[in-house]
Amino acid sequence: MWAMTLKGLLAHKVRLALTALAVVLGVAFVSGTYVFTDTIHQTFTTVFTQVTKGIDVAVRTKGSYTTPQGGTVRAPMPAALKEQIAAVDGVRIADGSVTGYTQFVAHDGKPVTTGGAPTLGLSVSRYPELQAAGTLRSGTRPHGPDQVAVDAQTARNQDFHVGDRIKLLFQGPPGEYTVSGILGFGQADNLAGATLAAFDLPTAQQVLNRVGTYDEIDVVAQHGVSATALRDRIQAQIGPTYEVLTGKQLAADDVKTVGAFTNFLNYALLTFAAVALFVGSFIIVNTFGIILAQRTREMALLRCLGASRAQMLASVLGEALIVGLVASAAGLGLGVLIAIGLRKVFQAIGASIPSTALQVEPRTIAVAVVVGVAVTVGASLAPALRATRVAPVEGLREGTGPAADHASGRRLLIGSVITAAGLAALLAGLFTNHGNRVLGVGIGAAGVFLGIGVLSPLIARPMARVLGWPFARWAGEPGALARGNAERSPRRTASTAAALMIGLGLVSFVSVFASSVKASVTRVLDQSVVADYILTPSGGQAAAGFSPQAAARLAQQPEIASVAEVRSGAFKLDGKTQQVFGVDPAAFTRTIRTDVKSGSLTNLTAGGVAVREDVANSHHWRVGSTVPMNFPIGGTQPEQIKAVYVDNHLNGPYLIPLSEYEQHYADQLDTVAFVQANPSATPEQSRAAVTRATADFPNVQVKDQAEYRQQQENQVNQLLTLFYALLALAVVIAFIGIVNTLVLSVLERLRELGLLRALGMTRGQLRAMIRWEAVIIALLGTTLGLVIGVFFGWTLVHALHGQGVTEFSMPVRTLLLFVLSAAVAAVVAAVLPGRRAARVDVLQAIATE
Amino acid sequence: MSSSRSIAAGPFTLTLTLTLSMQAFRPWENPLSSGTLEISPVAVGPPGWEVSTMSAGESGVQTRARAASRAVGISRVYGTGDTSVTALDDVSVEFEEGRFTAVMGPSGSGKSTLLHCMAGLDRVTAGEVWIGDVELGRLSDRQLTILRREQVGFVFQAYNLLPTLTAAENIALPLRIAGRRPDRAWYDRVVGAVGLRGRLEHRPSELSGGEQQRVAGARALVAKPTIIFADEPTGNLDSVAGAEMLGFMRRSVDEFGQTIVMVTHDPNAAGHADRVVFLADGRVVDDMAEPTAELVLDRMKRFGD
Repeated sequence: MWAMTLKGLLAHKVRLALTALAVVLGVAFVSGTYVFTDTIHQTFTTVFTQVTKGIDVAVRTKGSYTTPQGGTVRAPMPAALKEQIAAVDGVRIADGSVTGYTQFVAHDGKPVTTGGAPTLGLSVSRYPELQAAGTLRSGTRPHGPDQVAVDAQTARNQDFHVGDRIKLLFQGPPGEYTVSGILGFGQADNLAGATLAAFDLPTAQQVLNRVGTYDEIDVVAQHGVSATALRDRIQAQIGPTYEVLTGKQLAADDVKTVGAFTNFLNYALLTFAAVALFVGSFIIVNTFGIILAQRTREMALLRCLGASRAQMLASVLGEALIVGLVASAAGLGLGVLIAIGLRKVFQAIGASIPSTALQVEPRTIAVAVVVGVAVTVGASLAPALRATRVAPVEGLREGTGPAADHASGRRLLIGSVITAAGLAALLAGLFTNHGNRVLGVGIGAAGVFLGIGVLSPLIARPMARVLGWPFARWAGEPGALARGNAERSPRRTASTAAALMIGLGLVSFVSVFASSVKASVTRVLDQSVVADYILTPSGGQAAAGFSPQAAARLAQQPEIASVAEVRSGAFKLDGKTQQVFGVDPAAFTRTIRTDVKSGSLTNLTAGGVAVREDVANSHHWRVGSTVPMNFPIGGTQPEQIKAVYVDNHLNGPYLIPLSEYEQHYADQLDTVAFVQANPSATPEQSRAAVTRATADFPNVQVKDQAEYRQQQENQVNQLLTLFYALLALAVVIAFIGIVNTLVLSVLERLRELGLLRALGMTRGQLRAMIRWEAVIIALLGTTLGLVIGVFFGWTLVHALHGQGVTEFSMPVRTLLLFVLSAAVAAVVAAVLPGRRAARVDVLQAIATE
Repeated sequence: MSSSRSIAAGPFTLTLTLTLSMQAFRPWENPLSSGTLEISPVAVGPPGWEVSTMSAGESGVQTRARAASRAVGISRVYGTGDTSVTALDDVSVEFEEGRFTAVMGPSGSGKSTLLHCMAGLDRVTAGEVWIGDVELGRLSDRQLTILRREQVGFVFQAYNLLPTLTAAENIALPLRIAGRRPDRAWYDRVVGAVGLRGRLEHRPSELSGGEQQRVAGARALVAKPTIIFADEPTGNLDSVAGAEMLGFMRRSVDEFGQTIVMVTHDPNAAGHADRVVFLADGRVVDDMAEPTAELVLDRMKRFGD
């Protein structure tokens, strides 16, 4: 039986190669993701081992909580703690270090930004034992209030050399420094994309707003004292407020922090890989279905000759197994190439990743093989079961051709149940608070696609009839025949179209959602922002913020009426991390329209908090209630509610006055500032004043409302492009599916094509016939995809109404463009099968058996 | 298109060459329906060309019909070298307009190859094939395709119909491929002649084998081709259906003046024809006028000798 399986495979090389391609691409995406994230992880492990070199024990405050971005918020330690630690028996050196916001300004006056990595300033120890992290490439280590050392990557990118005077931005006023040296980090030129400015400790404390405090105290042990013993001794000495780690633990902990990021990246990319595989599985179902239908007689004959049904099934599944294995191997190879490509992309956006060998772990290989085989065999199960159900007598009957789909009642039932279940899971994930919501939404969406996929053969015929009408009407007989072909085997047409439906469903969903977000941003800006200018830090979402000095200078300009700074921070409430804005209540209410439900924002002074209405309601708070807010500095504070305000999608859940914010957070950076011009000043005058006041802070971007809206839209568009790129593979696979189906159909209809040629159809007309069939299939998939995508988008917009996505907007032109692109892509997909059709040998085709 | 050879062949060939050359500039036009060739009485035709040279006023009975199609010394060799097979060996034959000719011969005699070559489905290795006034060897694939569409009708042994189309759509298919509409009156006459009026909206899978063949016959007839080639049209039919099919073909010739060439191995079928051409080993070995099933059978028996 195995020999027969192999023969069967070899007889259908081309068809199976096309099938395998769908699996290959999906597996490549999966394995590429693993190789890439493993490599990043390995890289960071190397980096952090390097950075913690020489440190035996490190002390820091316990992390109060993690920010939504995955970072850990820690309060600085008092400088006096260092002396206490130094006095511990076995400590040779104890030195403090600080880290905070510093941003380079390029020679052309523009701030140096990263592709998402932090822009850091840090201290360099004066002890050689603690200097192992940074390796001096040239010059000297920074010394004195005038010197800075620069990471090698930034130095190269910005053309900074030892001796150059460069400008730096801080929380406080900006300053000019002399480059004393260029630092590398072992082999790496920087730490995973971050820009690094290194100062001596006193200077760093000064510019990073850490005077009298340390972020970390690093300890070198005396000879013969083990790191673990010293760690325990220090811990005992300074008490449980602080976290004491050995150097190794510190490195491991840092790696773990990065691990959270790589895990996120991993899951995000794997999600898209799963979409690609899901689409691919439709193609496998289809291809196996067609190939097996064509072999009905062969199989029936074997049954006549005494082969059992189980043997037939094993043979077919064996075929799938081999295809899956071969595809997995090829996918793994391609995956490594993808990983190399991804690494190049990361390097291109500035993250220096040292040349660690690509990490192809056994787990990656196992996942690739399991996924490839499971998808292939799993998807071929249904067609295999159907095909092996053939009665032996079928082999003796004349006239084969795929049997019509009789079980439409059962199909309707199963399809409806799956669709309904998927819909339920989707809506539950979106609108309720139970369980893993993301997973629920994902499974629900997959269920809806699957259910519609099951139902689609029932609607494929009427839809192909309608969508094919223009072709039958205007594309002559090839168009009419194409429509007939698209209608003749609805299951084949439907499952080919379903693959495209998934891809286009997701693409149009993303498009609708992005369009709605943009519309919502516009609405919020129109409704709630009174400000004439909006100040944001350059570098997008990743930027920490800009110096409050900018706002302070701005407030002094006569052309400016009011400046409302907003600083963002995290605190803990009942164990959960919450976001709070530090604002000047008076300025804030003047620039951001805020409806106060009860109390008054003018009463918002130190010790007070204002709460958004929905938050207050859910906690049963009212004005006068106290909220136990746990801050990074100062611990839990009972803040009294002074006002309850209505959500305008900008004002956030909690507001505290700036004076309160300054007490509880180490870093004082404005994340945004809203500026209102003096009514007496002309727009030109006020604009000039803003530009003048912020001249020293090149990282401050000044936008009026229109510009700000444009910037927000650009950010959404960037994200949209990324999603399109990640979904592109699924769409490409879907088009491979169209090629596959049409090639198989052409091979199946060779006699018919020969007959058409004999009757006077030109090669061009045959190609046109295949082309229009491809376009009709693509339009079918696109139409279904658009309907589902728009529905998903509409649902998500409603689910996120509370988060500020208030508007539902259909990007009609974009969606029409999708339809057009799909049609054009279908024309391309039809080239290969069309060529095969045109090559048909008339004599062979009409020859009688 | 023009070559020294065709110019040297005389005025007639020259005219033909020019006409075809002009069509090369107008590829959208049917190479045959436009530019009807005037054949002058003094035309120097290639050997074997039967030209009706009747002029007005001449009262003589037309004894020999004009040829709808003819082969002039054609050979068809498959493969090269030692493995080559000669399917047709210097065959010259002509099929007169308005007659029903049967081509017979034992298996492997080359009768199907002859039909394929005459119909422009296969290329000859040597010699010339003419349909009406056109020599097929000069035509591009596209021109051949259009010639098949306009001038040739086919009935195959099996698989004549597109399964997705109804009987009516199948009948109209060649015309629709050409972008033409069927002539309603003619279409009705043809459908009436085949006796399929009640079955027109059925798909092939709902028709009997005999009905399917008659649909194929109607399809061949409806485009009013110069010649219809039928390759074992009754081969898959029982005797009753076969007789119906043969009766239909006979009527097509008698009532509509259609030219039909039928390849068959069945002496009974050949008995319906006006003439039988016998092939053996790729050569024409006999030519029988006014055949009967008995005569044909007798002749066939002699092949075994």
